[in-house]
Amino acid sequence: MSAVAHLGPGRRSRRELLAAGLVGGSALASGLFRGGDPAAAGGRSPAQDERILNFALGLEYLQAAFYAEADARGGLAGELATFARVVGEQERRHVAFLRERLGAAARAEPGFDLADVTADADSFREAALVLEHQGVAAYVGQGANLSVAGVAAIAPLVSVEARHAAWILDLAGENPAPAAADPATTVDGLRAALAEAGLELPE
Amino acid sequence: MPDPHRDPTLEHIDADGAIGEALDGIGPTRAGFLRTTALGSAALLAGLADVAPAARGPKQDTAILNYALVFEHLQAGFYTEAESLGTIKSMDAERELWARTLGAHERAHVKILKEVLGRRAVARPFFDYRGVTEDPDGFTRTAVAMEDLTVALLAGQAPRVSKPELRSAFFSLLTVEARHAAWARRIVGAEPVAEAFDEPKTLAEVDRVVRSTRFLVSRPRRESRRSPRFTG
Repeated sequence: MSAVAHLGPGRRSRRELLAAGLVGGSALASGLFRGGDPAAAGGRSPAQDERILNFALGLEYLQAAFYAEADARGGLAGELATFARVVGEQERRHVAFLRERLGAAARAEPGFDLADVTADADSFREAALVLEHQGVAAYVGQGANLSVAGVAAIAPLVSVEARHAAWILDLAGENPAPAAADPATTVDGLRAALAEAGLELPE
Repeated sequence: MPDPHRDPTLEHIDADGAIGEALDGIGPTRAGFLRTTALGSAALLAGLADVAPAARGPKQDTAILNYALVFEHLQAGFYTEAESLGTIKSMDAERELWARTLGAHERAHVKILKEVLGRRAVARPFFDYRGVTEDPDGFTRTAVAMEDLTVALLAGQAPRVSKPELRSAFFSLLTVEARHAAWARRIVGAEPVAEAFDEPKTLAEVDRVVRSTRFLVSRPRRESRRSPRFTG
């Protein structure tokens, strides 16, 4: 299986990542547990849940469109192609779930320009890595902003996003679980990270 | 009858249909059911699981954090024992890195939860991993089942904590455990992400699975199971 395919130069950096991540992750999680909330929680309400779930829907639209385009272009081979197909199907189900949950409040699907990020296998891998890994951080950040009902609704989807992140990190020769606790990011933080990778998060 | 030493996947651990039974038994009778069947350290788990859903508040947060702590102890002990027995070192480089990473993370999770709970933290229970930490194959497959179960546990508990910051914190542990699970599944050649949604489990459901493994014991194990296993 391909997990052993990237034995070699990548090994050392993965070990270094592990060492670095352990310290940072623990400190971060302690901070989160103590109430240091990087996502700056406001009042939790059904209206705020709706805004956050619509943000999530925007992210899932982007992910679904990205994998659909990569799949349609047919430039991927091997396990990377499998990843795009399997994950793409799951992102489409996440879109459907969030649309149903939001009902009439669900945002419409925007258009995306994904030509560059799906141009070849390397571009795809890099973009997918940022999309999944940073997406997880954004979901972690929103945990404190959601109501109990909102958390219950998206928890089963959040862990699946983390599985996607681990898979693509492994395919890229990186440590699939680089920290003991996943860091949080804000929506703006996610938007900036995606922009740097050539991906546009819907407003 | 499935042998949990050889086939320690979640399905096989649930040899007596504990999960299915727990699913049927969830409801008003849950607390009583747990009280009557729990023994030893398992009673501790059951007691923590025995929190009425309506009792949301700091007290429930403590109970949930303590349940998570016991579970992280279970995991950390599992990886640490496999490491000290040399099982992890005997595996190929990819698996060794995987197992060492997960062990370090689970130990970090124990440390984090103990710090957060302070004097309210429950004591570390006693474990007997029944030989699975001695065999690379059994160890790896048990790890897959355990990581998937942790995902189900944390996905179920994240919405039950009253403090909003704790919900983000639970998400950050949930996503790490999900990464572990996906990585573990890749290690054994299984689909890293089999479903579009991970199904949460209630504390009662998780508790039933944990108790069916008999990994939690009421007193320390006195001798290695190694000799009976190889002579018997």
